[in-house]
Amino acid sequence: MKFNRRRLLSLLGMSPALLTDARLEAAEKKRDAQSGQGSEPKLTALSPKGTPPPINRFPMAASLSTVDGKTIYLVDTGFFGGDVLLEQMAAWFGRNMPSVKTVLRKKAGTYPEEDSKLWAEIKANGNAAIMAIGH
Amino acid sequence: MEKMGVPSVPVITQAYADLARSTAAQRGMPTLRIAYTVHPVWGKTPEQLRVLVDGPDPVTGKPVMKEIVDSLTTPLTAEDQKSGLQSISLGPAVFGPDTADNLQKYFMDNQMTDYMPIIVPTEEKVSAMLKATSHKPDEVVGRTGGGANGAWHYTVEQVAVNAVMAGCDPAYFPVILAIASTGELALGGSTTSFGYAMVINGPIRDKLNMNYTIGALSPFSQPNATIGRAWTLMGKNLGPGSIPGQTYWGGQGNNLNYNNVVIAEDEKNSPWTPFHVQKGFKPEENVVSLFSGWDMRMGHGAKGAGALIPKFDEQIASMFPTLARMFNILVVLDPLTAKALVDQGYDTQEKLQSWLWKNSTISAKEYRESFLAHVWLYPRALKGEEPYATWWKAADDVQIPCVPKADNIALVVTGGQTNAFFQVGNMNYGRSASIDKWM
Repeated sequence: MKFNRRRLLSLLGMSPALLTDARLEAAEKKRDAQSGQGSEPKLTALSPKGTPPPINRFPMAASLSTVDGKTIYLVDTGFFGGDVLLEQMAAWFGRNMPSVKTVLRKKAGTYPEEDSKLWAEIKANGNAAIMAIGH
Repeated sequence: MEKMGVPSVPVITQAYADLARSTAAQRGMPTLRIAYTVHPVWGKTPEQLRVLVDGPDPVTGKPVMKEIVDSLTTPLTAEDQKSGLQSISLGPAVFGPDTADNLQKYFMDNQMTDYMPIIVPTEEKVSAMLKATSHKPDEVVGRTGGGANGAWHYTVEQVAVNAVMAGCDPAYFPVILAIASTGELALGGSTTSFGYAMVINGPIRDKLNMNYTIGALSPFSQPNATIGRAWTLMGKNLGPGSIPGQTYWGGQGNNLNYNNVVIAEDEKNSPWTPFHVQKGFKPEENVVSLFSGWDMRMGHGAKGAGALIPKFDEQIASMFPTLARMFNILVVLDPLTAKALVDQGYDTQEKLQSWLWKNSTISAKEYRESFLAHVWLYPRALKGEEPYATWWKAADDVQIPCVPKADNIALVVTGGQTNAFFQVGNMNYGRSASIDKWM
């Protein structure tokens, strides 16, 4: 004799949704049995990354034996406050290492732009450089 | 400096310590001697800065001036003197095999996503995407992030992986490739939190079922949503990427970055020339045009409510003086607003651009006091570049336009004609690219 399971559950005061859970559980058990593993499938994914340029490493400039008597360029790259910071650095040298000659210069152009004229001046006339970068 | 043989020390505010190290390494100077100071330097008095100069480096703890002198005088180590090419490995080209959930987590934990679930880019899905273009998988599509060391490059296949992740249908792939071909990827590196927009023109809008009616800029269309998302994911993955503190420094970030502003222009209901035609393309060509800047702000209606002819032009112009001076302007108009402007007499966009340009000015004094004009435009004025050179020398009460030229105000039409809205973007037009080339 066939009987209506939903009606039976409702007569017992139980939700027919129980039938749904039971069906799902049965389906999962059947699938797991068929796969023989009981685990999720494994995937392989491709990397979304682009390709970076190689790094071209070069040696650092030779250090000075001393800063005494040397000319140090203090270069303002254009960030606000960098000029005032460098002025204070120049003042520090004046107080603490008076034999150091400091030359304050503002780089031309916006932050990322090169200033080949200033670089040439520093190479010709300077021994070292301090550059103020960043807000 | 170092390449010229001049020993040098960059002094960098501590907020950029990671960036400084990674930039120095990328430029071939991993052992560059760097000194740090407190952040920000901007806004401090000379007396306050003297305290900083007399005090310690906030990163190393050493007295900063002694540290600088030591950096210039300490003999080079063997490591300092190394040279030669070094290729960079970004890890494996393939991830897994693993469960979908674990791969989701892996992508997210390694900063390759926008922190929303992705479509895992399996070989099968990427292959399906690649079928939507005639270009070969290993063809280089574009280059980005070019610095002293050269640019990153990326292939058709690498772009396809990002398109799959974004949830793009393969039919959208030529649009994604066109965007990628420009090298202008979303999520640029700056303390400015950039936002991005694109305008799509041509028959492809309808072919892909893009939305340019009600909710045109809202999430009501798969192509609008996922094409924009793909642009962000490409920005994260194809170039130097967006690693907070290293290659992304936007202090607050920009909510537009989630999927950018994607505008399919309503060419049929626009009373004016479609944007791509303004840029020299033929009407039947499929084109994507890219913008970058800061934001989009909503505008509505007209000045003179109740007047015989409401003044939509004045309402739009009233928003311009508050915009940042370093960007141009993108105005996105609902077709209702565009038609109202035609009724006002602007039967061509050139007439409207000209009027807006002349009638949205600020005083030269206010212009010079603008932080961004001082930082970005003053150096150009010093070089003699016009109109900046003339503007910078103008008397205080001379009126300065918001942008250099009238056609720096881009006008685009889209929307569902339920209300006379418009949006004003503080955005620069970058460039346009052919989508047809990538089919």
